[in-house]
Amino acid sequence: MASVDAAQYGAFTTTVNSPNLALVAPIISLSHISFGAKKDPILQDISLALSAGHFMGIIGPNGAGKSTILSIIAGLIQPRQGHIDLFGECLTRFSRRKLLKNMGYLHQLHNSELHMPVKVRDVVAMGLTEYASPLWQPIHSATHHQVAIEEALQRVDMLDLISRDFRHLSGGQRQRVRLARALVRKPKLLLLDEPSAALDSKQQQKLYTLLRQLCDTEQMTIIMVEHDIAAITGHVDSVACLNRSIHYHAMKGEQIPEDIWHQMYGENMHVIAHDTSCIGCNHG
Amino acid sequence: MTPAASVAIMVDFIEQFFHSSVMLDALAPALFIAFVSASISVMILAHRLSFLTVGVSHASLAGMGLAVTFSLPLLPTATAFCVGIALLLASLPKKRGITEDTGTGILFAGSMALGIILVSQASRNDVDLFGLLFGNILTISTAEWHWLLLIGSFITLIFLWLARAWWSIAFDPITAAASGLPVSILNLCLYGTVGLAVVMCVKLAGIVLTTGLMVLPATCAWLWGKSLVSLWLLSIMFACTATLIGLMISYAYDWPSGASIVLTLCIMFIISWGASWLTQQQKR
Repeated sequence: MASVDAAQYGAFTTTVNSPNLALVAPIISLSHISFGAKKDPILQDISLALSAGHFMGIIGPNGAGKSTILSIIAGLIQPRQGHIDLFGECLTRFSRRKLLKNMGYLHQLHNSELHMPVKVRDVVAMGLTEYASPLWQPIHSATHHQVAIEEALQRVDMLDLISRDFRHLSGGQRQRVRLARALVRKPKLLLLDEPSAALDSKQQQKLYTLLRQLCDTEQMTIIMVEHDIAAITGHVDSVACLNRSIHYHAMKGEQIPEDIWHQMYGENMHVIAHDTSCIGCNHG
Repeated sequence: MTPAASVAIMVDFIEQFFHSSVMLDALAPALFIAFVSASISVMILAHRLSFLTVGVSHASLAGMGLAVTFSLPLLPTATAFCVGIALLLASLPKKRGITEDTGTGILFAGSMALGIILVSQASRNDVDLFGLLFGNILTISTAEWHWLLLIGSFITLIFLWLARAWWSIAFDPITAAASGLPVSILNLCLYGTVGLAVVMCVKLAGIVLTTGLMVLPATCAWLWGKSLVSLWLLSIMFACTATLIGLMISYAYDWPSGASIVLTLCIMFIISWGASWLTQQQKR
């Protein structure tokens, strides 16, 4: 039985703080994106536009297409139908390489990394656009690269472990290093697929605070897939409820209607309201 | 025997070795092949392509069989055939029931069968079967040396150019693709380069023992290296040292050169593994 902390999300009363989309060209614009077989689509008619500095959370049940939509935006798979604009330019096979230079991506599958001896410094360096340059062009001796790597590690509290072997880190530490790799190129658009996986609650809150800060101070646009709406609610600008299509795109302070939860998660769930009788809740 | 007498015998043996024209002619090509195979060896381990080297090296027999049957130059024909087989394996449709190891197994067996039939039809004077199977660097001709020099230099250049991109793909192919790297093309280049390197190793270690030369140097280095460059340098050190010692053993006891080199590499791995285990125990 699933339960969703909808009331907590709806508790905000502030107005939407994202810039007016009509005046500012969106950083990302999806129009009528569909993916998968026509009869049984994985994504159906997704349209979305986000401006600079917007922080959007995507929630939805397993198999809703959350990771698929990030893969499409990252140019890893082609939609069956629809159009994607990144930074005001159409995402095609030819423009892909140039556009992806301004994008950071943290995915969920990390199968092959643990059999290779790689230092934390080198893992983060892999996020630099210049990393794949020939071996006769050293990466680490360039001061600006060194500064960027240290800055990214500092942001995720991992600078002390810069010279450690990546294989010897804990699951949570590895995830923070991967996040530093996504941040090191200072992207305009950051895609995060369950970034808080393997993080403890303290690190989880630190992560969301950092992401909020990146949106506010550096105008980074972030799209983050998460399961725990209660955890992200105080940090994001909007939440998209996805299950094949976007059932609802709630802005900050907006209540997600109860029927939307039922449409997404089915009847086997209850929407609960938090009040003073809740055990273990912090009502501040 | 006193230690001084042992040293004198050793010095005398080394002098004889370096005055032997056969050994001197073989030394430079053998060390060059060791250098090239050690470089590619790092990528073979990172991308887990050991079985590919088994497949391609055995497939080279068909290339050589074709060369003998149609009176074509032996090494260039084998080179073209090996690269063709490696590229075919790289472009096999992986999601249609043919996994990479199955595909390699099929091509390996098929090419080997074709090679055996073609070679069996050739006259005994045309083919040095023992040399093909187990390698014989001592019989290298000037034309073969020039050919090896050409493809070896090409492999080294490609390695220096693409090593970091290949390393990044081995570590995390999804992030590499999302960074804008053309992963499929780079994989195709890697397979082609492995095919080229296999042909070089067949001359030194033969069809049967080539995998040892392609896998063992980096395996020894893997226990000590902390980054791509340190792994590469250590792998070269292990391969060149084993080649020199192997050739000396081959000269001293009249053993086959390829087998002596591969056996030396195996012993080096055991020593290296033992030393690494001891070091880890001491740290605890």
